Amino acid sequence: MNQGPSGRPDRLEEALSQLPRGIEPGRDLWAGIAARLEPRSDPARVRAVPRWAWAAAAAVVLVVASSLMTATLLRRGTATTVQTVPAQVAVPSTAPAVVPAAASAATAAFGPGHRVGPAYLANRRVLARELEGRLARLPPEGREQLAKNIAELRRASAEINAALELHPGDPLLEELLFNIYQDEILVLTNVDRLIAADTTRIPL
Amino acid sequence: MNEHGTQSEFERARRAADERALVDSAKRGSTAAFEALYRDHVGKVYGLCLRMTANRATAEDCTQEAFIQAWRSLPSFQNRSAFGTWLHRIAVNAVLALGRKRRELLGADASVDEDAERLPHPDSGDDGGVLDLEQAIGMLPAGARQVLVLVGLYGHTHEEAAEMLGVAVGTCKSQLHRARQMLAERLALPEGFP
Repeated sequence: MNQGPSGRPDRLEEALSQLPRGIEPGRDLWAGIAARLEPRSDPARVRAVPRWAWAAAAAVVLVVASSLMTATLLRRGTATTVQTVPAQVAVPSTAPAVVPAAASAATAAFGPGHRVGPAYLANRRVLARELEGRLARLPPEGREQLAKNIAELRRASAEINAALELHPGDPLLEELLFNIYQDEILVLTNVDRLIAADTTRIPL
Repeated sequence: MNEHGTQSEFERARRAADERALVDSAKRGSTAAFEALYRDHVGKVYGLCLRMTANRATAEDCTQEAFIQAWRSLPSFQNRSAFGTWLHRIAVNAVLALGRKRRELLGADASVDEDAERLPHPDSGDDGGVLDLEQAIGMLPAGARQVLVLVGLYGHTHEEAAEMLGVAVGTCKSQLHRARQMLAERLALPEGFP
């Protein structure tokens, strides 16, 4: 494009180079643009979330992974030993005390868009109560690990609830809390299913 | 470097620093800063859109789309290139996206419709020869016009233009050759127009 056959800039190129790069529009387009600009989330608000909240979120990931692995190992263990171990053997409790589900959810201060409503919390409490009654029937090593992990999850949710009291409606805290509850329910459901499968077997 | 050169370098650096501050503010959510960026760049963006589309209303739509897209993408803008360069790329994409959307809506008739849009744009002023060239560019077929605008007017390489337009480099070169021939005919330039 740059040069004619003689190697010199050609007339067309010269003419193009004289054209102004900018042309002002015939009307002001800003109003139409401004009306469609979505507000950004305030970075200051994101920064205000305490560092421990991120640590709690990271801990939750580890705890859930650990719980799922424990549940999987237990499932394999019960499948091979169920014919030799009596179902109702009393196991001394060495597991750490589990923070009650009701206590860890009692103080939440959710914003208008929250997903964790009273019905959600009631279901969660029922599931947790049922599980606590049945947890004693697990082999001691698995029960201890699960109880520890569930306690971790509930401690994290209690801390986030406390933070929500200070920052009610904070979307990030609500999201963290919702994720922790979901993870907790996932662990509880898996354990519940495991125990249910175990009790259907007939001991010798 | 002479005093005049130093002065202009200084002025350029100051403007770049000002623009960077505006970009940072807009990233943090300041629409006032973004409006200042709009005021600084709207002429270049609209000029590009108008020359690529050869239609004033379409160019306005593309300009608005480009700035809205820039606002959305601004948090990921890393200052690796100048804001204007980044915005230019967004504007090209806005023009091409709108073209695709119209083709999807209108099917094969879209190319006919596009040819029907080959209108001169009076915004470019009323200066005899320049207006003739703008008119001639506006009357080129879309493919040839877009290559001419990107390569001949805005200085992109064939590789860059081909990538932006989603065509082969060879296609880009042949379109440019076609555009030059057509312009030469319309502007009554001598053969070879040296």
